[in-house]
Amino acid sequence: MASPQSSAQVPVTVLTGYLGAGKTTLLNRILSEQHGKKYAVIVNEFGELGVDNDLVVNADEEVFEMNNGCICCTVRGDLIRIIEGLMKRKDKFDGILVETTGLADPGPVAQTFFTDDDVKARTRLDAIVTVIDAKHFFGQLEQGSEAEQQVAFADVILLNKTDLVSPDDLKKVEDKIRGINRYARIFRTQKSQIELDAILDKGAFDLARILEFEPDFLHSGHDHNHGDEVASLSISADRPVDPDKFQKWMGALLQIKGPDIFRSKGILAIDGAPRRYVYQGVHMMMDSDWGSAWKDGEARSSKLVFIGRNLDGDNLKRGFEDCLK
Amino acid sequence: MKLDLANPAWQQTLPPARSLATDAPVAACAFSRDGNTVAFALGDGQVRQMPADIKAAAPDAAPPLHSGVALALIGDPAGDGFVSGGDDGRVLRVALDGTATELLTQKGKWVEHLAAHRNGAIAAGVGRAMFVAKDGEVREFGPHQSTVAGLDFSKDGSRVACAHYDGITVWSIGQVVLPPRRFAWRGSHVALKWSTDGKFIATGTQENDIHVWRVAQATDMRMQGYPAKVKSLSWTADARFLYTSSQPVFTAWPFAGKGPEGKPPLQFGDEGAGLMTVVAAHPTAEFVAGGYDSGELQLGDIKTKRSVVLKMADGSAITCLAWAPGGFRLAVGNDRGDLLVIDLRR
Ligand SMILES: [Zn+2]
Repeated sequence: MASPQSSAQVPVTVLTGYLGAGKTTLLNRILSEQHGKKYAVIVNEFGELGVDNDLVVNADEEVFEMNNGCICCTVRGDLIRIIEGLMKRKDKFDGILVETTGLADPGPVAQTFFTDDDVKARTRLDAIVTVIDAKHFFGQLEQGSEAEQQVAFADVILLNKTDLVSPDDLKKVEDKIRGINRYARIFRTQKSQIELDAILDKGAFDLARILEFEPDFLHSGHDHNHGDEVASLSISADRPVDPDKFQKWMGALLQIKGPDIFRSKGILAIDGAPRRYVYQGVHMMMDSDWGSAWKDGEARSSKLVFIGRNLDGDNLKRGFEDCLK
Repeated sequence: MKLDLANPAWQQTLPPARSLATDAPVAACAFSRDGNTVAFALGDGQVRQMPADIKAAAPDAAPPLHSGVALALIGDPAGDGFVSGGDDGRVLRVALDGTATELLTQKGKWVEHLAAHRNGAIAAGVGRAMFVAKDGEVREFGPHQSTVAGLDFSKDGSRVACAHYDGITVWSIGQVVLPPRRFAWRGSHVALKWSTDGKFIATGTQENDIHVWRVAQATDMRMQGYPAKVKSLSWTADARFLYTSSQPVFTAWPFAGKGPEGKPPLQFGDEGAGLMTVVAAHPTAEFVAGGYDSGELQLGDIKTKRSVVLKMADGSAITCLAWAPGGFRLAVGNDRGDLLVIDLRR
């Protein structure tokens, strides 16, 4: 029998979260449930998974710094190698799951999918899923920047172990998460129990699906943010964008603020263009494309979203307004 | 040695060839030391052997030797068979009858890179370590700072160079233990070839450059301007040129005389559809073969700058090329699983 073979890119889901948050439980569920799909799983600690499966690959999280000397331009070279190797298999996959270590910065993993042409040709980054231990989240925030970064990068958050905290405490955790990342979808879970279609094949990095993934993308309000905490903010505008000015501003912004900007995305109404211009970025790396066409009579508004550290909302707003016609 | 590269008929029909279709991507191909047998490492774990003589009967598919993908393959430098590496962490010595004996195994690691020296030594990159097997003895070198992403022997077989993050490491593998030499260049190095005269080591980097070190002087040079990372490097037999993949035409850096500094590379051949994925210099003469991501195959002659694009049936990217030791036959594998042996004798 012929194996399922498709020229389409294989979706890759990145699974982050502190040690003990429930990543392994979630992976075991994905691998053992009867869903008729075949996944390759790239894990950092071999043998932790209960399933004995030859589709489980061990990775050492080998991060390298690119030659441009920038501290945020880091890539998982091992992931490039492993994905190239997986694509040589006769048996193809419906998806790839990448588990990171508890203290991993999701930046290098995500940037791998912006950097390498072979990886881009064969796979697509689908979403970053972060599992959070509701009971220990505040403690983990104090231990270092990792827990905060994992929330900031997330498209989907599993707020797990909700049975171990009081409703009040749970609300505090959820508010804190929202304070860092207003755009991720949060699911409250126990023992990592979740419908798989809530976390897989989300298209969170798919430029054509930016609108679909965030239903209130064009309707959330302006946010004020102070201090050095990680937070998210959005800027919108109703006047058309001058593409040259925007490119110059964004280029300079990422050059200076790139290390502090974890995720960014936007939909732009370019002056005179019949279609939306969409982009998606991780630190300084960015993908962009023309999106769907504006309908007749539709309000042509633009919106940018940033999730990062030390974001100066007023400054960003002024900068963007200077790019408008 | 005569190869008729200007033969116009080859643009319409392939030269005499044996073609076999499998359903697993081809990861590597190699000829045996005596040139009588050719083998292909496949994505289902098979090491598929067949006579190099395209008229001899080819045996049926063999049972898989590796439990996942057979990732690496070389001719056995100490016998007439092959040595293979797989994503099951095993390095196997494969006899002509298809039976395999294990040279080493490292559970949970992949064996992606193998190299051989005519003195009989085999080097294997296994995770962050490098192993050398010779005369029944296996020795471990490393670990390196990251997984070995390319390795090669020096001309005299006394050293092995390994590519990894931020540079390369050169190990003396003789009985006298010497400290390894580090050659630093920031970034991820993804391919490595030691020049056939032993003087230079070239790497391809993740950031679309070539880096070359002069081994004796420890000086280095960088060649930029590739549109993609260069995963295939090949030195000519006389070490006068280094061929590099990831260009639409044959691209050769001149290393004769004072070296390539300040000079453009020699480029020739027809612009293929897409980029060259694999390049293989002929083992004895001035010829070269290049495979493209479009599935095209091109043969060239650096002396006359003539070339011919061979008509290939499908558009699957070429993944590996190997010349037979004598240089009359060429093995080709692609991403779809086609195995090809071409007889180029006039
Ligand atoms: Zn950077």
